[in-house]
Amino acid sequence: MSAPAAPRRRIALVIGSGSVKCAAALGLQRVLAREHIDVDMVVGCSGGSIYASFLAGGFATEDAVRMTKELWTRKITSRRHTPSLLRAILPGLFGFSEDFGLKSDRLVMRRLEDVFGGRRIEAMPTRLHLTATDFHTGEQVVLSEGSVVDAIRASIAIPFIFRPWKVGDRLLIDGFMSDPLPVGVAIREGADIIVAMGFESPYQSAIRSPARFSFQLSSIMTNNLLKSRFAFHNLAHHAEVIPVIPQFSQHIRLFDTEKIPLIIEEGERAAEEQLPYLRRLLAEPAAGAFRA
Amino acid sequence: MEIAVRESGTVTVVSIRGSVDGLTAGDLSDAIGAQVRGGRTHLVADFAEVEYISSAGLRAVLGALKDARQQGGDFRLAAIRPDVQRVLDLSGFTSILKAFSTVDAAVGSFGG
Repeated sequence: MSAPAAPRRRIALVIGSGSVKCAAALGLQRVLAREHIDVDMVVGCSGGSIYASFLAGGFATEDAVRMTKELWTRKITSRRHTPSLLRAILPGLFGFSEDFGLKSDRLVMRRLEDVFGGRRIEAMPTRLHLTATDFHTGEQVVLSEGSVVDAIRASIAIPFIFRPWKVGDRLLIDGFMSDPLPVGVAIREGADIIVAMGFESPYQSAIRSPARFSFQLSSIMTNNLLKSRFAFHNLAHHAEVIPVIPQFSQHIRLFDTEKIPLIIEEGERAAEEQLPYLRRLLAEPAAGAFRA
Repeated sequence: MEIAVRESGTVTVVSIRGSVDGLTAGDLSDAIGAQVRGGRTHLVADFAEVEYISSAGLRAVLGALKDARQQGGDFRLAAIRPDVQRVLDLSGFTSILKAFSTVDAAVGSFGG
């Protein structure tokens, strides 16, 4: 009787938070496609949820670039959310509530609808998991079914900018608040080889406004959370977590969509750095690998 | 991956060349384990020629660190390349182990 075939290793791609820098995932996608490396699942968080959805949805890189330029422009935060402002300035009169965000989400919702329409997570060609954070408990929430647009909107509910978003009976905020690089989701879903593309939040070069002060605090907390979660997942995983951390030669701001070609190039470069090991790993029989 | 072991007084220097990853980490664990079992618990890993470290490699480093410390010694790193340093930083390892810019400094850190 012949021995049972070794199980195929399941490959996951995890794209962490990082605003427009998450477009580097398209460079990673190019490398994996060129090498004929099939991915079994994609996990995305915050800005990474948009690119995880592109990848899981089978969008061509060129289409994803075009859609990014249409979707992610300064205009999406140009309009104030007046009720929130009134509630913040005059809480006694208007009643402050958790439904608070300084910017209107009308445009970003319209653009997400234009791109993803009525697509559902469970119907994507590749398994997709998007993460957000429960506003009331702080727990990570993994959205593995339901509307793609709703899940992305929840995952990008940046505190103070966009209002929290309700999915089912839970009020959700940005996924980066619970884990900026949700490798744990891929571990839980049974992935063996996890290619994790993450981004450190930039520190401010000068603090000359309360907003920048706030961004600085957010970066400090997010980067420390990223490291502590990543450290735990690295040590907890039975197989490999391969970090792909693009190093950008230029400073990338929130809406620097004109730098997308550069961002993709850096993503491609970072992926290529990991390629020799990934190739060797995939060439090994599953049973022989990972003796640590 | 290639491993060379030499002694410098009470310190054992383990020089590693290549990639410390899921395919090679077991060899590193074996080499360090043999030293610790033999009572050599003051260990320096020369990382000058380590070009890559994966999560399995990090687990091997952590195992070495715990083995050495449980026996009253320590496992210290030296001459880490920037790419590997980035992975160690991101993974929080630089907060739990001692790293030095040169092997001599790492060996000297154990004292006489």
